[in-house]
Amino acid sequence: MTARIEVHGLGKQFGGRTAVEGLSFAVQSGEVYGLLGPNGAGKTTTVRILAGLLRPTTGTARVCDHGLGDGEALRRSVGLLTEQPGLYDRLTGRENLRFFIRLNELDEGPAWQRAEGYLRRFDLLGREDEPCGSYSKGMRQKLAIVRALVHEPEVLFLDEPTSGLDPEAARTVRDAVAELAADGRTIILCSHNLAEVERLCGRVAVVRTRLLAEGPISVLRHRGSVLEVRVEGEGEAAAASLEPLGLDWTTQGALVRVTLQHEQQGPDVLAALVHAGVRVRSAAPTSRSLEDVYLELVRDAAAEEET
Amino acid sequence: MSFHWRRAQAVAWKDGLDLAKNPGLVWSMFALPAVLVVVPTLMVWAWVHSPDDTTFRAMALYYDPKFPSGASPVRFLVDKVLTDWFGLFLLMPLFTPILIASQSVAGEKERRTLEPLLASPVTSAELVAGKSLAAVLPAVVISWVAFVAFCIAVDAVAWPLVHGPVLPNGVWLFGVGVVAPLYAFLGNGIAVLVSARVGEARLAQQLSALVVLPLMGLVAGQLAGWLRAGTSYYALQGAVVLLLDVGLVVASIRLFDRERLISRWS
Repeated sequence: MTARIEVHGLGKQFGGRTAVEGLSFAVQSGEVYGLLGPNGAGKTTTVRILAGLLRPTTGTARVCDHGLGDGEALRRSVGLLTEQPGLYDRLTGRENLRFFIRLNELDEGPAWQRAEGYLRRFDLLGREDEPCGSYSKGMRQKLAIVRALVHEPEVLFLDEPTSGLDPEAARTVRDAVAELAADGRTIILCSHNLAEVERLCGRVAVVRTRLLAEGPISVLRHRGSVLEVRVEGEGEAAAASLEPLGLDWTTQGALVRVTLQHEQQGPDVLAALVHAGVRVRSAAPTSRSLEDVYLELVRDAAAEEET
Repeated sequence: MSFHWRRAQAVAWKDGLDLAKNPGLVWSMFALPAVLVVVPTLMVWAWVHSPDDTTFRAMALYYDPKFPSGASPVRFLVDKVLTDWFGLFLLMPLFTPILIASQSVAGEKERRTLEPLLASPVTSAELVAGKSLAAVLPAVVISWVAFVAFCIAVDAVAWPLVHGPVLPNGVWLFGVGVVAPLYAFLGNGIAVLVSARVGEARLAQQLSALVVLPLMGLVAGQLAGWLRAGTSYYALQGAVVLLLDVGLVVASIRLFDRERLISRWS
């Protein structure tokens, strides 16, 4: 797999305000990569930099083999779905799409055929000659996605793609995102909907101006996860054998709860207990939700900033 | 950076379509031409139908103290008002692009369409060219159509006095053919510049409209008899406006910097 997006030490300042600082990550071809963070964390700024709309203050990035200074060529190879659909309300859906087909200097016939395919996929075919001002919020969002796809970009930036959609429309969009990734498109998804991110993304980055954590969701979910070990006898005595591992633990009768820093520490804990002669009756990792991990990361970062 | 005419055309096509589907704006574009054609026509009609009014001679003598006693003061005043009126007629090509361009640029910000547009491959120069074309072309066409209507109306009402056509004459042909398009570019340039700096179409329109004040001042000077209008006078105006147009195009392309527009308005 090749990285379609490589970001190294990306930073952006607006006047004296730091919007993004020292961001580094890479996204592979065909990957759906989640960009998570609270409002004002720098997600949209990051996407705008990578889409060629803003210049970074520090750092570099390559998107589809284009540097950030490649402007026109870069913008040609990416599709951007902005938080607001940004449609021309007096124009019809067809006219909105035709405008972007022309801006991308595509052959109108084949490009419109492709667009029709997406319109059909999103249940908009038959409504394309109505003014966008008459569209529902969901229809507007879906048309904006078609607009972002009309020039067949290799990389897609989706900023809150299901925001304001009813469950059925949101499902359609999510399915389409998964299909686009299966087609080999690289997608960066900014969303506050963590369930959606868990469903669609293999890896995520949690940002709050700077990168707080990055990696596969399965690994992140084990960040700070707890291994519950039931032992024979008093848990307190058994837990003493865990001191060399430097992990936090609590006990309750025969139950020892060990907080792991990462998934791989589970076997180490069991080995230490067995090595100390403790008889282990059962052991079960309790993995946390992405939401728990995310909230903890963001809260810790906020507390750190305050101090 | 290469300039792709096709992309500029796409921007002009979209703006034109958006304008055509905005009946309120279209009607407001026709209000000023109607006034600028009807008012002088009525003035000429009134003078032609009361040629013996003694105040006309006094008015003619005010503008020309050597006005011959045997000459027709009404004919003199008709020629005078038609020459001076061109100064006011220029309001049309100046103001119409302001109506359109302030909607199309600041309107993109208001409607949140700016970011998807800037995320496309279109360059700043293409964007400015496309938007200018969509604003200047209707203004010039409206001015020319209004001029034709004005010629027909004035000639019709002045015929009993002049027994021939008074318009078009050299001043008007030069003015409408050369000076009016330059003023259309000026109005557009100012509207593009202002609407790149403000967030609301209405505010952009109001601020841009202040550009008519110098023109009104010049016309006031003509009516007061301080300035004598003629082909060379309008040619000088045109030369000054041409220089302003060039400066405005350069400034507009610079102000259409993605970074500036996105970080400020999105």
